[in-house]
Formats: sequence, C-alpha cells, structure tokens
Amino acid sequence: MTTLAVLEQRDGVLRKISHEVVTAAQRLGGGVEAVVCAAGVVQGADQAAKFGADKIVTLTNPAFAKYAPEACAQALAERAKLGGHRCIVFAASATGKDLAPRVAAKLGVAVAADITDLATDGGAIVVTRPVYAGKALLKVKVAAQPAVLSLRPNVFTPVERPKAGAAETVAVTVPAGRVTVREIKAAPAGTLDVAEAQVIISGGRGLKEPANFKVLEDLARAFGGQAAVGASRAVVDAGWRAHADQVGQTGKTVSPSLYIAVGISGAIQHLAGMRTSKVIVAINKDKDAPIFKVADYGVVGDLFEIVPKLTEEIRKLHG
Amino acid sequence: MDKIVPAQYQPPLPLDTLIVQDGAEGSGDRMELDVLIVGAGPAGLACAIELARLAKADRTELNIGVLEKAEALGEHSLSGAVVNPRAFRELFPDLKDSDFPFRAPVAKEAVYLLTAERRWRLPTPPTMHNRGYYIASLCEVVRWLGAKAEALGVNVFTGFPAAQLLVRDAAVAGVRTAPAGLDRDGKPTPGGTAPNDLVAKVTALAEGTRGLLAQAWCQWQRVPSENPQIFALGVKELWETQQPLDRVIHTLGWPIPSDAFGGSFVYPLEPNLVALGLVVGLDYRDAALDVHVLLQRLKQHRLLRALLAGGEMVEWGAKTIPEGGFYSLPERRSGAGVVLLGDAAGFVDVPSLKGIHYAMHSGIYAARAIFQNLKNGAALSAYDRLVDASYIARDLYRTRNMRLAFRDGFYLGGIQAALMTLTGGRFPNGKYRMHADVEVARRLSPGLRPGSAETPVGVSKVDAVFKSGNSTRDTIPSHLIPAKDVPVEVARFYSHVCPAGVYEAIDGGLRINAPNCVDCKATDVLGPRWTPREGGSGPKYKRM
Amino acid sequence: MKIAVCIKRVPDSETRVKIAADGKSLDEAGVKFVLNPYDEFALEEALRRKEKAGTGEVVVVCLGPAVAQETIRTALSWGADRGVLLQADKIPADPFETAKVIAAELKTTSWDLILFGRMAIDDYNHQVGQLVAELLGLPCVTAVSHLDIEGTKGVAEREIEGGIEVVDFPLPAVLTADKGLNEPRLPALKGIMAAKKKPLEVKPVQVGAGVLEVVALTPPPERKEGKIVGEGAGAVAELVRLLREEAKVL
Repeated sequence: MTTLAVLEQRDGVLRKISHEVVTAAQRLGGGVEAVVCAAGVVQGADQAAKFGADKIVTLTNPAFAKYAPEACAQALAERAKLGGHRCIVFAASATGKDLAPRVAAKLGVAVAADITDLATDGGAIVVTRPVYAGKALLKVKVAAQPAVLSLRPNVFTPVERPKAGAAETVAVTVPAGRVTVREIKAAPAGTLDVAEAQVIISGGRGLKEPANFKVLEDLARAFGGQAAVGASRAVVDAGWRAHADQVGQTGKTVSPSLYIAVGISGAIQHLAGMRTSKVIVAINKDKDAPIFKVADYGVVGDLFEIVPKLTEEIRKLHG
Repeated sequence: MDKIVPAQYQPPLPLDTLIVQDGAEGSGDRMELDVLIVGAGPAGLACAIELARLAKADRTELNIGVLEKAEALGEHSLSGAVVNPRAFRELFPDLKDSDFPFRAPVAKEAVYLLTAERRWRLPTPPTMHNRGYYIASLCEVVRWLGAKAEALGVNVFTGFPAAQLLVRDAAVAGVRTAPAGLDRDGKPTPGGTAPNDLVAKVTALAEGTRGLLAQAWCQWQRVPSENPQIFALGVKELWETQQPLDRVIHTLGWPIPSDAFGGSFVYPLEPNLVALGLVVGLDYRDAALDVHVLLQRLKQHRLLRALLAGGEMVEWGAKTIPEGGFYSLPERRSGAGVVLLGDAAGFVDVPSLKGIHYAMHSGIYAARAIFQNLKNGAALSAYDRLVDASYIARDLYRTRNMRLAFRDGFYLGGIQAALMTLTGGRFPNGKYRMHADVEVARRLSPGLRPGSAETPVGVSKVDAVFKSGNSTRDTIPSHLIPAKDVPVEVARFYSHVCPAGVYEAIDGGLRINAPNCVDCKATDVLGPRWTPREGGSGPKYKRM
Repeated sequence: MKIAVCIKRVPDSETRVKIAADGKSLDEAGVKFVLNPYDEFALEEALRRKEKAGTGEVVVVCLGPAVAQETIRTALSWGADRGVLLQADKIPADPFETAKVIAAELKTTSWDLILFGRMAIDDYNHQVGQLVAELLGLPCVTAVSHLDIEGTKGVAEREIEGGIEVVDFPLPAVLTADKGLNEPRLPALKGIMAAKKKPLEVKPVQVGAGVLEVVALTPPPERKEGKIVGEGAGAVAELVRLLREEAKVL
C-alpha cells in the first residue's frame, strides 16, 4: 500500500523540505507517490525521484499559483481517496501545519503532527512526537487509513534512494476558495523577536565594545531570517544593545533550537534560563570558562576569527 | 577599612512613600471591602477562613479580600517544615489529621553536632521534640488553605502586591497595590496597570517575614519593642534522592563559624523527596560569610553526601526568619484599623523552629477580634489580649532568651541555652539586650574564604535562582534602594549576603541584578531596602 | 460582534515533566495549570474587537475536566461575558475527537468569529482550529499574527519561512492566533470580582477514542556531555558538520 508524499512548492520551485517528506514516506515501504499542487511545471519536482518517489504527480490549476488552502486541501483529499493510500505525509512547515489538518478533516481523521520518528508495527504505523516543549516524547499508534502524518522539519535527513519517479500531470477542478493569499511580503528586517527565534546568537562582555556586535549580526543574517542577536543584561545595562535584545538569566522567554553564546563566560548571570535551548554552542577564548560545562559543543579561541568563519560556513549551507 | 557596619550604608525606611493619605491621586481602580488581608500565607488565610466562618455562623455577609503578591498561591511560601497541627484542628474541628495537607508524621529524629570530618549524635533538646507533628510543604499547606478560603467565599487576589499603606489621619484605611508593566526606568507603559486602592474597615498585615507595611506602620505610629527584631537567613533545597531518608535531622556546628548562630535541617517529605536547608543568624561577624555557599559545603559532609549522591535538586529557595522572639514583638500588634499577624509580627519560636501554627493562631485570634469590632465596635486591641493570654505568648516567653544567648557565641550560648531549658526559662533571667542586625560590625579580615559553590553536589547562585522558578521580567525596574555610594568592600559584603546573586561587586562598584531577587528580605535587613515590584515577580515555589 | 474563543487548560510551560505510573500520561501532582498562552492572544483579540464595536458578546468555550472552570473564570475576569465548560475527565489524544465536541457546541449559534490559539503548549497538535472550521464549513486562517477587519472582510498576516503571507478572508471565519497578534492584558481586580457572577455553564460530554492511541510517554534521551570541538577558526567546519548531522539543528 503506497504512501502519498505531499511536496511543497513556492512560486513554481520545489522547496527542499520536500526531500525530507519523500525520505520519510520511503521508510514506510510499499511505494511512494509524490504529489504537489501547482499552477504549472514545478522546477525541481523531479528530484523527488532521487529520494524514492515511484511516481510524481503534479495537480494543476491556476488557483495553485499561490497557496490556496481550501482548493489544495480538496484536491489532495480527492487524490488520497482515489489512490487508496495507506498513509499521507506532509512536512510540518508553516504551510504544512496549516494544510495537513484540512486534508485530514476531509478524510475524517486527525493528523499525527510534528513527528520525529515513524515505524511500522505489524499493520499499524507508530510515530513519535515531542510534547511539553520537548520535555517528553509521545509514542502514538495511528489506527486510521489513511494515516495522516506531518514531519518536524530538519529531522528526517534526506537519504538518496533513487526510484523511477514517473511524472504525471493532472489538471484538477477545485472550488473557488474563500481564503485567498494576496501576496507574500518580506519580513521587516530586524524585527525577529529574541523570544521567538529558532536560533539565538548571544553576545557578552567578551565582545569588548558595542560596534563589535556587527560580527554577530552578520552571523544572524547568514541564517536567513531565523536568527536573532541577543545580549546579556550586563551588556544591555552598559547601553551597548537595546533592551528588547536582552536574554536574561531568568530565561522565561527563550527556548531556541540553537543557542550560540559568544564571548560569554557563564560565570554569573545569563546562563540558567537558556538551558532549555535544544543545542548550546559556546565560543570563548578561555577554555576553563564555566559556559563550556553547559554547552553541547564548544570552540576555544578568538571569537573575532571564529565567528566570521562560522558565518561563512552557514551562508554556504543556506545559500 | 578593617570592618564595616552595614547600618552606615542602609537608607532609612522611605516612610514618605510608604504612608499615603487615602484619596491621594495616583491610583486606577478603587475597591471597598469589609476586611482586607495583606498576604495569603498561613496567617492571612487562617484569618480569612475564621472570619468567613464567623460571618456564616452569624448569618451576615462579610466582603473579605486577601492580597497576595505571588502569581499563584504558595509561590512565595517557603519553610522547613515540621508543623504542629493544633491550629489546623482548631480551624477545622470536623476534619482529621489525615485530612490536612501534611506529608508524613515525624517518626524518627536525630540531632547532630558536626565538624568538617565527623558527627556526634546529641540528645534531642526538649524544645526540639517533634513527636506528634507532621512534615509538610508550606506551599502545599497554603494552596490547601487557599482552596478552603475560596470555598467560603473569600476573594483571593493573586498577583497584587501591597506597596503602600493608605491612611486617614492616624488610622489605617487600606493599601495601594504596586503598578504593573513599568519600563526599565520605572515609567508606565500602555500595556501596564495602575496601582489599585483597596480600602477596608480593618486591614490585617500578614506579609510574612520583614513585612514592609508592618515595619512602616510600627515606625509611623512609633510602636516600640523591647529589642529590635533580629533575623536569620535560611537557604533551602528540595532533592529527589536515590537513597531513602527515614528521619528528621537537625545539625549544629560545622560549617557555621563559632561566632555565628544557626543550624541545618533535613526533612523527608517522602522517603526519596528531601527538604534540606541551612539557617544562619544575620548577626554573624564575618563579612565574607555566605549562607548559600555554606549550604553547598554542608552537602559535602559525610552525613549528607551519601544521601544526595545520584539525586537531583528540584527546587531551591531562601527566606529570612524573625528570630527575636518575645522581646522583639511590637508592644501592640493592633491599632486604628489595623492588626499585625504571623511572621510580620514576629510570632516565631526559634528553639523549636516553629512559626506556622503561631501564624495561623494569630490569624484566628485576629479574626475573632475583627469580627467583634465590625459587629459591636469592640476595640481591635482585643486581638492583643487574646494572643497575650494564649499559648503563643506562653511559649515565646519561655524561650525568650534562648536565641539571644547565642549572641555570646556558640559555646557560651549553648551552655546558657541548656540552662534555660533545664529551668523552663527561669534562669538565666533578665532580658538579653540585642542590637539590630544592621548595627553589628562585620570584620573584613581575617575573613572566611567564601570559596566556590561549585562542588559535585553544589550549585551556583545563578542555577539556584533558576531552580526557584524565578521568571521575573528582565526589563523590570529595580525594586531595591541602595545607598548612593557603596564602597567595594560593602558591595562584596552584599554579594555574600544575598543568596540569589542580586548583588555583584564589579568594576569597583555595586551592580544590582534585580530580577534575580527571590524576596527573601535579607537585603532589607542588612543592605539595600526592598520594595514590592509588579505582581508575579520573584520565585515560583512549588513544594517548598 | 459575537465571538467564540476556544480555550484549553494546560500545564504551565515551566512544568518539570514527570511520567505517571501508567507510562502514558503526565503525573499531575503539583503541576500548575494555566490558560494556554496562545489562547491568551485569541481571547485578547476577541475582547478588543468587542470593545471596539461597542456591542456584542465574547463567549469562552473549553473542553476539560471540572477544575477547568478555574481557567474559564480567568477568561471571564479578563472581560469575557460567559463561559461554557464541555466537561470530560480526560481530554482525548485524538484532536479530531476534540474538534467534534467543540464543533457540536458551536454549531447552534451563528458567530462572527471563532478564535483559537494556534496550538496548545502541552500537545503541540496545532490543528483543532482547522478541524473545527472544516466540520462547521467555515473559512479558516491559521497562525494569525496581525488582523484587520472591515465589516465582513478580513485581512490576516501569518509568518511563513522567509516572509509574511497576507491573506484575505470573509467573515464569519475561524482564526487561530499566534504570538504578536496583540499584547494580552493584565488581570484587573474589578474584573476578578466580576468574573464570579458571570454565567458559566457546565455540560458533560462524551468524547470518542479516535484513531490516535497513546502507546507511551517517555522522557527525552539524556543530554550528552558537551565536548570542545577544537580551537580557533579551524574547528568551525567540524562544528557545522556536527550541528547538521549529529544535533540536527541546521
């Protein structure tokens, strides 16, 4: 029984997260049909074959030029019913989080959402999902057919398992949507709230003077809009950085996936709250700095050499 | 400088801002109540419950409001604790001991004298027998009492600190709460809330240790006491242990220096859930003494190391305890429109380490006096008479000099205390004069090397504050009032006084990390003055 | 404006998670429960819009155990007009079952807006809003961080990767609120007093088991001991590799 892997495109170009979806679908065995809603040809859709798609189906309709939640949900639900799939997999991206439940509802089931692992157990699909802000893992058996899943991004590292990827284009008719995307506008620069950022790069007194924070801002920019620059209270009190940037010792609002502490010794203040970060990286010239005891990964040395190099490497990754 | 006297650097109590004429501008909402109780601790809640019951029995309606600065009940409550259940039994005659929010009866107990390497078992002093009492978490006690109070129709407002006393001439009319949402410089922001005025016929101040408004009222009304109130600082940790503990333990001696007073407690709430803490009188002589650091050291002692090995510290907290006893009680604890309850009045017996049942009973007596005052116009001073005629006064009188004797040091004090115990308080007699803690000189050298808190079972102040559940807004304005110029030696002294790392001696001056504050009040006793900040700030104790 | 706000009672975000004896659920002893933070944005938005319109009603609906009445009272103390508790001792693991119960309750009234928080901070399911919208046949926009309404036309903004999606929709609609939509108000004393007198209806409901069955709830894998990757700029390549492949945060 095949799995329907829902790919994501924007402006006619396949989003890389789609590779993760196909990879995960592959793991369930039984064949993978990749599907994408688009107004026309999707550049890079053929890549799905590399990761295991037997078939790549493009459902076309002019309405799909921009994300059309109702039309897309309708088209996918019908495709799912038509194909009699055992499972439908989405990425839990911003769009996927919006779309998957709409499709699931039309199929009369819930989504097993934001999963970090999946397996088959006899005939059933068993998934793992982080709950309570990652403080626990929930293992759930999905007794539905089709089972609808969404994947936490950056977990199912794409694995190449080339398959035929036979391409098919199907024009579909969809209802006129009541909800329409007017446009996608750029996020205003520098307004990423430290409290909400996935990546926080925090600077302390080791930066020596306010102007040197530019080095951290360059690194933040390299992450392409997911990163914010934070500062210790000491540095904010000294007037180097704005109050809104402060990452405090109480840490009530901070829980990023990645926390990079630059020039922060960790001797006092600052540390305790950011402990809930998923991964902590420390960069400091003092190898005995207490922060290295807290960090998952540390680099000892001159931050003015290390951080620019890191910026370069991150840019390469995200480019 | 070879010594410092903290009093030289402590600003006076800001009476001008603390006492405000009712009707003065500056507040948003105004609410009228029959009785206002400041503080939802055991004293305040017992008072509210007794008042509600009296009203119900009398078929009258009383509008009772309890103000609590913590975001939720119990979050600022901390104690050992071993509780004498008598006040519970009086307040809830229809319930059994097993219905009360206690964890376990005290089964075995032991008292040890410690040195760095060894321990000596001492016979349990008569004042410290705990048979028939219960180990409890004060947080759980408060939440339980709070539920009972609310079920009786009492309005409990959490997240509202009382910041100022509203007065009409010489009478207390109510309180004004602290504003919320001020920016770093103390200016109001659009999302914040203005102070509220709560006025009532009677205001009961049950703010706990070193209560700000209680201090302000006593000073404003010039209510004397024979001795100034003195305090100890207790730093406490809650541990989930691999090894079970089956007894209540108290220790004396190491690591407390012989010219300081104090001891430690280790109480099993469950066999594998252990509360432990170190309590040290704030009249210690060495400017480098750091109670939090001493606690970390204590945990290394053979007696505790095995117990804690492989365990996890789940909570941390700190609070001061009024230790002055009988002679430090204000001459009267009632006045026009006001009564003082619990720790705020000083009803704590140090030799038995008990205060919760006194707090609750003071609340019960106050409720009776308040009820008669509202009903018949009877004087509120009936509250003082009730307390003076009760076991509260009897107990405190019997041990009136015991703590005070220790101003002469551990050994001399120990001998005197033993004599007092043997003679039921009759000898040595007289009254030991005490100085306020802030007036005691501290030597700078030779000093203790405070040492590091980092040990295998040790925790730094920063990590400790995190474990108190403190999530105070980082941009909150500082609520602490230091002297204008603080020399670096005094800054260093403050950094040792404060268990939460609020004070740092940096760049030759004093840096204040106000959001760290857990409202223990040690600062208010020895250093910069403490004032309330927006509701919900400070620790969030769960089972302390 | 007639606005329904669907709320959930959840463990406080600072909760230290302990697994219950059944190995499948949270040990609730000593856990502090609060109004789901994302629901606060929804509630605040509803109250502002009703206050702006000068007339209308904000009704709070909650699926939960009897003690969830406290959470509804909190919402009432902010200014909501009345509350409905759909009482069930156990909240199902299957959000579609939750959605069915909530949709059944909402169906009987014609609302201008039905608001949810984007997700609950306990189960992170992120879907009940959409599921309810689908069951009610209403348009739906999720994760709204900015909202403008003129008459029966709405414009919402939502954050997506690398940008902000601007979405047009008609009223009535279901919206799920995200952080940034507004700054939730602080409780007022008068509001707390008034809440006690506002109507709170308790309706026992039956919730189905659904298709998602909890097998186990376990603690996350132990945090591995940290390591110093190397010294100087030369260590950066290895750091990045580890962050990608081992830590999976890049």
